[in-house]
Amino acid sequence: MLKTKALYLSAVLALGVLATAAMAQEKPVAGEVKEGSLKGKTLTLVSYGGIYQDGQAAALKEFVEKSGVTLLNDGPTEIAKLQAQVESGNVTWDVVDTDDLPPYVYCGKLFQKLDMTKLDVSKIPEGQVGECSVPAMNYGVVLMYNTEKYKDNPPKSWADFFDTEKFPGVRGIDGSGSPTGGLLEQAFKVAGGDPKAMTVADIDKAIDVVRKLGPDTIFWKTGAESQQLAESGEADMLMMWTGRAMTAVKNGAKYTPAWQDWLVVMDQMTIPVGVKDTDASYALLNAYLGKGAQEILAQQTSYTPINNDAQPKVDASVAAFLTNTPERQKQGYKQNFKFWVPNFAVAQEKWAALMAGN
Amino acid sequence: MSASDPIAQPAADARPGRAWRPFALTAPAIILLIAVIGYPLLTIVLRSLSEPEWGLQNYAWFFGAPVNLTVLQRTFTISAWVTLVCVIAAYPYAYLMTAVGPRVRLVLVLCVLIPFWVSGVVRTLSWVILLQDSGVINSLLRSAGFSGVKLIRTQTGVVIGMAQVLLPFMILPLYSVMQGIDLRLMRAAQSLGARPSRAFFTVYLPLSLPGVYAGAIIVFILSLGFYITPALLGGPRSTMLSTLVQTQVLSLLQWGRGGAMGVVLLVTTFVLLALAAPVMRSRHREAGRR
Repeated sequence: MLKTKALYLSAVLALGVLATAAMAQEKPVAGEVKEGSLKGKTLTLVSYGGIYQDGQAAALKEFVEKSGVTLLNDGPTEIAKLQAQVESGNVTWDVVDTDDLPPYVYCGKLFQKLDMTKLDVSKIPEGQVGECSVPAMNYGVVLMYNTEKYKDNPPKSWADFFDTEKFPGVRGIDGSGSPTGGLLEQAFKVAGGDPKAMTVADIDKAIDVVRKLGPDTIFWKTGAESQQLAESGEADMLMMWTGRAMTAVKNGAKYTPAWQDWLVVMDQMTIPVGVKDTDASYALLNAYLGKGAQEILAQQTSYTPINNDAQPKVDASVAAFLTNTPERQKQGYKQNFKFWVPNFAVAQEKWAALMAGN
Repeated sequence: MSASDPIAQPAADARPGRAWRPFALTAPAIILLIAVIGYPLLTIVLRSLSEPEWGLQNYAWFFGAPVNLTVLQRTFTISAWVTLVCVIAAYPYAYLMTAVGPRVRLVLVLCVLIPFWVSGVVRTLSWVILLQDSGVINSLLRSAGFSGVKLIRTQTGVVIGMAQVLLPFMILPLYSVMQGIDLRLMRAAQSLGARPSRAFFTVYLPLSLPGVYAGAIIVFILSLGFYITPALLGGPRSTMLSTLVQTQVLSLLQWGRGGAMGVVLLVTTFVLLALAAPVMRSRHREAGRR
């Protein structure tokens, strides 16, 4: 009896060792996928549409051809829709691109904790891998100003953005939904606070600074609207996403960025809880993180790649808005993540009240 | 059934099974309504009472936050303005449709219907181009020597945009009622010595009121739920309730609160309509008497 048990145990142990060895052998490399490994399978990528999702699809073209998978695109990402899918147990979104915060706020609830042995995260810029997400790309929220209006005395920082006495003129702010943590931190600085030591009560102080900009302030609802405000010259200073800022300038808007403390934004790639084929989702993520894929993405969108080896070839107008140059990296401002993740709902509610004119 | 009343319900008497026919015919519509309105509505009410736990916490939250009450009130104010603008704009137009010949009428009908077929989003975006500070209206004003007016991101801008989108819902019911008014009644009134204005106010207007009420109710109720137009043409001071619902549900995943907001809007609407109903009915009867 004892003997058989020992035999059994050793067999199990041997199997375990073998399995580990096999796994070690198949250590994933970013950007690579086995020929024909996903034949007959379907994956749905969910993102924000427009040039961005087109760029992502182009970046994944090689993965699709090699693995034999059928890639479907859906969007835009809405956390409520994802929640409905997870709750009903019918998850049709296999890989989801989100803003900065959701994977941290809903980690383990809506988004799977990632098994990093299934991904090659060695080339991702430091500090960008989360428990439930890898970065999708980096970009910035930047202060754009009208060069004809401010001429020789342009605004240089967010402090100037909030100073309507020294810099009169109409401001445009991202009113597309969630508050931008970095902007509220900059506003809080103007109110004399220290963003690193922010408390929930300080959110009100920060929002008051925004409110003081006055009734002429424009809260744009979509990226396209922000671009239109720049191209028509409706606003004198605009908080803009770098991709939209680049396109507006390309289209002839007489605006230029003030890069000091541009707000770093990192879109996230996630795998929802309850997807039908987790390994297939991992394979897509791993391919997406590759050098070649990231170069294609950057070339098509002007967004900054998240693979350190990637060297996209871009023209001057796009290069002007890339955020991964050493100089830009020094000027960038990262929001206080530890504060915003637990206080996401409170901040959202207070921001919504400001948006509703209260 | 007594023999003295042979014509009243002969069919029903002869074949009792036929009484079910009207119900059978409406069954598809009723099933559809239950499936796409009744069931979701029930879910919303249940979620508003059960999330995150059973109780009235979502309603307590709604009435405890001043911003919700401000926006609720604003939603009704804007809708009332939109309805008023629609009545004023649609009434003469609908009248004109009844007064002209068939060819001109066709043109007038097309003028109403073609924008009706164009998506509300497209029409709202056209209003952005017209109303914005650097837009068509302001450029014209400035080149004529006036100072510009603030239209976009104001309540006025929202009312203009919404009224245009909703105008067909006012014109069509008005026209269908006005079409049935015998214009000879006006001539009769004048021949009895009434001035045209008197003839209009005592004869024509009361007869057309059912159309006004029907149109006004449709426009008012549709206005209450507007989302795209206030979002694109308005600013923070013209946010309507649907935007707040969207924030609660899509950004905060607070389905319960979103549901409670919807229920409050629905109940308030019902209460208002219940209050207005007697007025409408009495006017209606009065019109009939005259």
